[in-house]
Parts: sequence; structure tokens; C-alpha cells
Amino acid sequence: MEPVLAKLLAASLITPFLTFWILVLWGPKIGKPRAGWVGLIGGMGVPLALSAVVFVTWFFTSPEQRAELTAAAQHSQVLWAQLGRFDVTFGVKLDSLTVAMHFMVCFIAFWIFFFSIGYMSGHADCVHHQSKYWRFFAYLALFAFSMLGLVISPSLLFLFIFWELVGLCSYLLIGFYFETDYAPPAAMKAFITNRVGDFGFIIGLGIVFTFLGTLDLEGAAAAFKTQLATSTGLFAPQVTVPIFGWTFSGMTLATLMGVGLFCGAMGKSAQFPLHVWLPDAMAGPTPVSALIHAATMVAAGVYLVARVFRLLTPDAQMFIAVIGCITLTFMALIAIVQTDIKKCLAYSTLSQLGYMIFGMGVGAWTAALFHLITHAFFKAMLFLGSGQVIEGCHHVQDMRRMGGLRTKMPVTCWTFFVGVLAIAGFGIPGVHLGHWKFGLGGFFSKDEILAVAYDRAYNWGRFGAPSEGHAEAGANGEARPANKEKHADGGTRSAESAAGGRGVRLAAFSSGSSEEVQHSAAGTPAQKAAGSEKDAHGAEGGEHHASEKDGVASGIQALPKWMFWFAILTAYVTPFYMFRAWWLTFMGHPRDHHVHEHAHESKMMTTPLVVLAVGTLVSSYFLFRPMLSHAAEAAADAPLVVAVDGEAHEPAAALLSLDHTPERDPHKKLVGLVGFAFLIGFAVSWAIYRNGLDVASRIKAIPPFNLLHTLLERKYYFDELYDFLWVRGCRAVAAVCAFIDTWVIDLVYNLLSGVTERIAAFSGRVLDAQGVDGFVNGISETANDLAEVLRKPQTGGIRKYVLWSVGLATAAIAALIVVMRVNGG
Amino acid sequence: MLTIGLTHYLIVSAVLFCAGVFTMATKRNAIGILIGVELVLNSANVNLVAFDRYRAGLMDGQIAALFVIVLAAAEAALAVAICMNFYKNLVTVDVDQGDVLRG
Amino acid sequence: MSLQVGILWLCVTALPALAHEEAASGVGTGVVYAVPGGWFEAVMFYVFAGTAVLSAIGVCVSRSVVRMATWLFFALGAISVLYFLLAATFIAAIQLIVYVGGVLILLIFGVMLTSQSPWVRFTPSRLNLAVAGLICVGLLVCLSSILLEADFGAPLSTTPGVTVEAIGRRMLTHYLVPFEIAGVLLMIVMVGAAHLARQEKQ
Repeated sequence: MEPVLAKLLAASLITPFLTFWILVLWGPKIGKPRAGWVGLIGGMGVPLALSAVVFVTWFFTSPEQRAELTAAAQHSQVLWAQLGRFDVTFGVKLDSLTVAMHFMVCFIAFWIFFFSIGYMSGHADCVHHQSKYWRFFAYLALFAFSMLGLVISPSLLFLFIFWELVGLCSYLLIGFYFETDYAPPAAMKAFITNRVGDFGFIIGLGIVFTFLGTLDLEGAAAAFKTQLATSTGLFAPQVTVPIFGWTFSGMTLATLMGVGLFCGAMGKSAQFPLHVWLPDAMAGPTPVSALIHAATMVAAGVYLVARVFRLLTPDAQMFIAVIGCITLTFMALIAIVQTDIKKCLAYSTLSQLGYMIFGMGVGAWTAALFHLITHAFFKAMLFLGSGQVIEGCHHVQDMRRMGGLRTKMPVTCWTFFVGVLAIAGFGIPGVHLGHWKFGLGGFFSKDEILAVAYDRAYNWGRFGAPSEGHAEAGANGEARPANKEKHADGGTRSAESAAGGRGVRLAAFSSGSSEEVQHSAAGTPAQKAAGSEKDAHGAEGGEHHASEKDGVASGIQALPKWMFWFAILTAYVTPFYMFRAWWLTFMGHPRDHHVHEHAHESKMMTTPLVVLAVGTLVSSYFLFRPMLSHAAEAAADAPLVVAVDGEAHEPAAALLSLDHTPERDPHKKLVGLVGFAFLIGFAVSWAIYRNGLDVASRIKAIPPFNLLHTLLERKYYFDELYDFLWVRGCRAVAAVCAFIDTWVIDLVYNLLSGVTERIAAFSGRVLDAQGVDGFVNGISETANDLAEVLRKPQTGGIRKYVLWSVGLATAAIAALIVVMRVNGG
Repeated sequence: MLTIGLTHYLIVSAVLFCAGVFTMATKRNAIGILIGVELVLNSANVNLVAFDRYRAGLMDGQIAALFVIVLAAAEAALAVAICMNFYKNLVTVDVDQGDVLRG
Repeated sequence: MSLQVGILWLCVTALPALAHEEAASGVGTGVVYAVPGGWFEAVMFYVFAGTAVLSAIGVCVSRSVVRMATWLFFALGAISVLYFLLAATFIAAIQLIVYVGGVLILLIFGVMLTSQSPWVRFTPSRLNLAVAGLICVGLLVCLSSILLEADFGAPLSTTPGVTVEAIGRRMLTHYLVPFEIAGVLLMIVMVGAAHLARQEKQ
């Protein structure tokens, strides 16, 4: 069984790739409905089957065996190329995260492919009398190949390659309707914005490669850890960047590396300054929006951050948290005023991606990825629902013209509502049957992110905020625990944990401020000395490890409180706008009878909706969360930052748990804060939009709201700002360049050309015409005369040439013989 | 006379050569001229192989002969193609008709 | 008719090759041929040298191109036997394959494709014939006089075994560059011939 799982994952890349080429080469011959089925079976059916095998096997594999399999996959990488001392290896990353992501991508993509067959067949897609139907599925197959490749890449290099490939697919599919006037600019916007992010990504990769010496994820993480422990490489007191000669002190460069890598995620996951492309990307066909721009590709940014989590520094992590927080809040606000159903969902996606990034930023590694997966299910479903609506209403996307569609498309209506409940965090807080709680999707994943954020913002004091003394005492400005002290009280602590559990211990820990001071005074040598002791105390290894994480946590600043409150605010906004979208589309009275009369739904498209609705229900529970939790053990074991498990009371050694003291338990706090946010959001939304848009338009007219509405409707003027800064800026620079060109360079050129002209006139009339021409003409005339003579024997008769040459040769030989006879006798 | 030596072969070669040259010089048919060329090339080959056999013995002559054969084959292919073109343009294979340098 | 003669004659050509194989068989792999000689070789030489010379003269005197090609066929075949006698078995085989099998067929194709009527003949002028004959006979006389008088020294006592393998090795080591150039040349010829023979599209 050992290599089989990794090979199955690798094999899942083959058929999408082949399908891509088959469709590219013979697409038009395969024909309109069949190309879709080819795309479905080859592009996603086979990978889904393989993925399901892997997923089920992995699900029933014990953690020890999983670790062995991961190591085996890591070791069976293939050497692809050797560039100096740099080995380019390719293989398969086989761990719980990959397996979960792979299965999620395959499952969702399969149903979206399925949906596409129905969706695209209804489209007039002929350009210049050629159908583009097969092209759509070719692109989808290429996307499937790239996305699966991205998920299984064991090294940042291949991750980057597939990263760019998915970007290409995104570009191609956004611009699928290239005959329109809105799709090509949207595609270009997406592509260029992503390039901005990728620029940072490449800088990050460059730093990883230069200082950590490898692009392999495991290797880089190991090198990071070693360099941190020995204060070399990236963590030397003075780091000089080769070629550029810039020097950085302490951890600046490591932070830059983290931020650089995150820049890639910012582009792909459309985070705050680079978020502008995602709403425009809705120009693509709706299944594409569901697959690429909601469920999978945009989540790749989060996946990247999860993968490089071990390379982050506290500052970089804080940067991520800030960006995520800004995105999640401000994009959610924009969604309130959107009237286009797809745009509304797009901003909702932005906001949810913000949640995931924010989750990564606060250390809720598991929760962020869990949210990624639950979000993928329900957002794919929501988008497909909107696709069904758009298709059913003959390409009307404006919610103002919809309403009352529930009678015409009941399946879409109720599956959409399941999605709305899931994204709104529907659940009954505080009620549970054993471990089984009652809720949907976001109720678990978002709640966990918020819980960790709360813990970071309010309970973090238990680890002690870093003081000034820290920065000076620690070799690189990061704090280390005084392990000796820990060992000294190790006995008591284990006794404590045996007696009162972890919560008590942590509470005691956080109250003991004198202990903190002692911790913070410790330096690197103490750590090293403790390292050798660690083996001696092997029996309490796990406990020891956890305390090490406590030490790391004490070096990380608490989260600013406003960030937590922003996230809470969004928890109220999200139900509001999602309910609004659902109500305006499906409920109330039809506002446009023409649209309403023609509305219909089709089996081909409702099947995926139902399947994904079931998937949303199931994915909320037992499938993914434990697997991600397991993945976190290795993938979130960062030396400088900590991941917090928001659920388990006794998480894996690499993770911290929440503060479960009764009066500080984040989950209990959240019940009061946002437990019923979805109800309030729904209620407010229902109150306003119950009878269509009249109330809303009246609110819009009231002075403070009208300005706000305009601000939101213009998306905070970001497009205008970018237009002003970059487009106009470029034009201004170009204008200056043109001015310089006209008045400086041209002047010089004109001067030079004038002089040249004079010289040319002189040399032409005098030197050339008389001197050179005379000479050349003389030669040519001579040649001409000579030719007149020489052409006489050139009769063109081949036989004459033969006779002449042989005759002359014979004569020469004969003469030679005669001469030799005469001379030699 | 019973011991066949180098000279025997060289004489044969000389006769072949002269016959080839005569063919080239007297035949007006382009293919005929080509046949003459083949004879000349063969006479050269006989020379090469004979010298190799009796004097050098290092098979260099044989390899040279091989190259000659290759070149002759190439030449024949090209020459026949040229003949075709000639025929296509002038509707004859009489080389005496083709004495103008015009495309 | 000529085909049957050709087949019969090819059977005869196989004999000297067998004779050499016999001579070689006792020596083993590092083939060293016995000094050629003896009446068998002399008879073979005279028969086939005569065939070659007579056929060449036949080529000279034929008027019809088809006949010329037939005579050339005999001449080339006889020359290949001479190669056998010269212990150059590989060259002889190549001579048969390339010349008799390839070039000649090509020439016959050329004849067929370019003939206007079945037996068109272009007769040369008498003056032409006379001059050409004079020159060729003169050349032959000159060459013969030199050859007959020339002293080529003693022939090699033995002939190193020239096997196909040895030729191949030498061809791909010492003569690698000419070999490659010949390959390129053949490709160019192929392209060129195709280009020349191509039907011009209107």
C-alpha cells in the first residue's frame, strides 16, 4: 500500500491533462454535447474516483501509518534536475491537508463540470460560426490538472508552476466570452492584478531559495527551524542579500519573506489591495465563477499560507491578519448594495476569503482550512444556484428584476437557502448531544476562527506580552521560554494536569506573572542547554513540547481588539446580505413578469445543487475537521508562530488550545456575541426587503445613508483610485517621456540628422558620384569587356564542354609523356 | 598474364573511363549523358578499390568508394529530377536544345 | 530476355564470392585472405573484365537509351564481380544494391518519363563522333602507355580482412565528418529532387 496512495494522487493529474489535449485537438470533431461528457469523465470523473479511494483509505488509516506514508512520499521524490547545488525534485505531498483538499476539489469540480454540461448547452456560444463549447471544457480540464497539481505539489517551485497555470486558466475562462466588450478587460484585470501579487510571491520564493537553500516545503521548514535555532542564515544578526547588497538586521528579512509569499496569496485570494479583480471575474461563465472564483482557485491563496505557515514570523502573521480583517469587513459591506446576483456572491466570497486569511493570521490554522472546505461546498452551491437562476431567466442577473422565483425553481430556491444558512452560520449554539452539535458549515468554521481571534485578543495575556526586555535578551528579538524553569516545575505541572486538567493549569500559568518575567529573561544558551535535557526527560515529551509552544506564544503580540470586533460586525452583515440576495431572488412578488414567466429549471443543473447541498450538510461534520486537525500537527508546527486549535481541549503537540477557563471560554463568549447573529441579520434583512426594494430605496435617500450607499456602490472608489494611480500615472509618465522624446531627443536627432545630411550630400555628389562610382564603373566596364571575350566558349552545349575538357586533359597528358620521354630517354 | 595485378584493373578502369567520356561527349539524350557519368564514376571506383587492395590495404579506398557510390546515387536522383524539369520546360531531352541561361 | 540473362549472370557472380569465403574460412574471425592468384581468379577476371569493357563499349555505340541502360546494367554487374575479386565484398554488395538496384532503375524511370515517342533518337553529327572518338582513343592510349610502364611496386602479401564491421567502425570513427556530410547531402538531394520534380501548382 505504501507508494500506492501517492501514486494515485499523481495519477489523478494524467487524465485531465490528456483530456485537455484531446479537447484541444479534436474538440470540434467531438461535438457539442459529447465534448462536455468527455470533459466530465476524463477531466474530473477519473480523478474523483482516484481521489475517493485515497480519501477513504486515508480516513481509515491510523495516525502512525499516516506519518509513515507522508515520510515515504517525501522520500520517494524524483530528482528532476540538478542546478548546481540545487536539486529540483518532484513528487507528491501526501498528508492530511493534501488528501482533504484533493478530495474537496475533485468532488466539487465534478459536480460543477456536470452542471456545466447543462449550463453551457443552453448558451449561444458561436463565434465566427465556430462553437466554443468544447473549448470551455478543454479549459476546465486544464484547470482540473493545474489545481490538482497545485494541491499535491511538495515544493514551492511546483506549487508556483501550477499556481501560474491556474492563473492562466482563470484568465482564459474569465475571458471566455471574448466576443463581448466586458470579458476581455475583466480577464486582463484579473491577470495583471495577479501578476502584482505574484511579484511579491517571487520575491518570497527568492528569499526562500537564497537563504533556506531549497524550495521543498519540508526542507525549507526544517532549514528555517535550524537557522532559527543556530542564528545563522536568515536569522544571522546581519543578513546581506546577495546581488543587491542590502543588509537586514534580525528578523526583518524573514518577515519580508513571509509577507512576500503572502503577496501571492493576496493576488490569488483577492485580498484587500488586490481584491479588485474578483468581482470583475464574474464576467466568466457562472460554473467558472463557482469552481474557480469561489470554491477552489481563490482558496489556493489560503492553501499557500497554510503550507508556508511554518515560515512565518509574528510580524508577517500580523500583516496577514490585518489584511484578512480589512478584506472580510469591507467586502462584506459592499455586498449589501450589490444588485447583480453574481456580484453579490463575489463580494461575499471576498469576505469569506478574508475570514480564512484572517484565520491564518490569528493562528486558527485548522479553522481557516475548515472554513475553506465548508465554504467551498456552500459557495459552489450558491454560485451554481445563481447560475441556474441566470440560465433560467435568460441571462438576467439583476436581482431587482427577479423575485418570486421559488414557484418556478423550487429546488434552486431551497438549496440556495441551505447555502444562505451555511454562510450565515446557522446553528443552535450551546445545544449539543454529546459531541454532536446542531449547525451548518459556517456555524462551525467561522465560529472557530472567531473563537481563536477572541482568544488572541482577550486571553493572550496568559502567555505574557513581549516586553522591551525580550527584544534585547533574545538573540533575534523573539522570546524563548526558560526551559530550565519549566523542568524545575515539571513535576508539579504534570500533577496539576492530572488533577485539574489543562484549563486550570493555564489559568495558573497566566496568573503567575513573576514566572513570566523569569521566562522572558532567558536567552538562547539556556534553550540550547535545555535541548539536551529534553531527551533525558523523554517521558514527558508531549507536555514539554506543548510548553515550548507556550513559550513561542509568549513572544507573539496579542491581537488588536478592533480586529476581533470587525470580524464580529461582519458576522452580522453576512446573514443580512445573503438573506437579502435570497429573498430578492426567490421570495416576494415577481418584479418583472416577463422574466418570471420564462423562468425554468433543468434536471441537469439541479442535480449538482442537491448533491452539493448534501455535501454542505455532511462536510460540516465528521469528514474534514479531524483530518485537518491531524494535518495541523505537522504543517502548523511553526517555530515562530503558533497555531491554535479552536475545538479540541487536548490538541496535538504542535498546537495550542483555547483558554477553557469558564469565565474566559471564547466559545461561551461567542454564544452571546454572535450566536444569534444570523437571526438578527435575517430579521433586519426581512424587515427591509420584505416588500421588494421600496424600503431600501427610501433608506438610501436619507442623508448619511446616501453617501454611504454611494461609497459602497462605487466600491470605496478603488477602481477609480487605481485608475488614477496606475493608469493615469502610467499615462502621465508616458506623457513626460513623450515630451522629453519630442523636445530633447528629437532635437538632438534632428541636429545630428542635419549634419549627417550635409556630409552625405558632400560625399554623395563629390566623393561617391565621381570618385567611387568612377572606380566601380571602371571595374564593371572592364569586367563587361572581359566577359564579352570569355563568353564565346560558353556555348551551353554540355557535350562540347566534355570534349573540350577531356581533349585538353588528353593533350596535357600526351605532352607530359612526350616531355618525359624526351627528358628521361 | 595469369597473375592478375594492379595494372589489369587499372587498364579496365581506363577503358571504362574512356567509354564513359565518349558516351558523355556523343549522346544528345540527357539520360544518356547520365549513363556516361555513371560509367566514369564506376571506373574511378574500380581504381580506388584496386589500389586499396594491392597497395594500401587499409580499407580507406573502399570507404572512399562507398562515398563515391553515395554521391553517385545522390547525383543520379538529382540529375533525373533535373532531366524531368528539362523535359517539362523544353518538351525534349536533347541537351543541345538547352543552351540558354534563362529560367 | 535481358532480365533472364541478368539473373543467370548474377548467379555466376556469386561464385567468386564463394571462392573467397572458402579461402577465408580456415583463418577464423581475424580474416586474412590468401594471396589472390591461381587460374580460377585469372579466368574470372578476364571473363568479367571483358564483360565490363564490352558492355561499356556497348553503351558507347548504342543509339537507343534503353539499350544503353541495358548495357550499363551488364557493365555495372561485371564491375561488382571485379570488386568481389578484389576482396571488397561489401563494396560489391553495395554496388549491386545501389547501382544495379537503385540508380539503374532510376535511369530507366527517367528514360520512360521523358521519352516522347517509343524510340526517339538524337543522332550526333559525324564530326562530333569523330572528334570524340579521337580524343577518347587518344586518352586511352596515353593512359595505357603510362599504366603499362608504371612500376607500382610489389603487391601486398596479404590483404587485411575488410569486414563490414571494420568498415563500419572506421566510417563512424575516422570518417565520421565525411559520413555526416554525406548524410546531410543526401537529405538536401532528397529535398532538391522533390522540389525539382514537383508539379507547379497553378
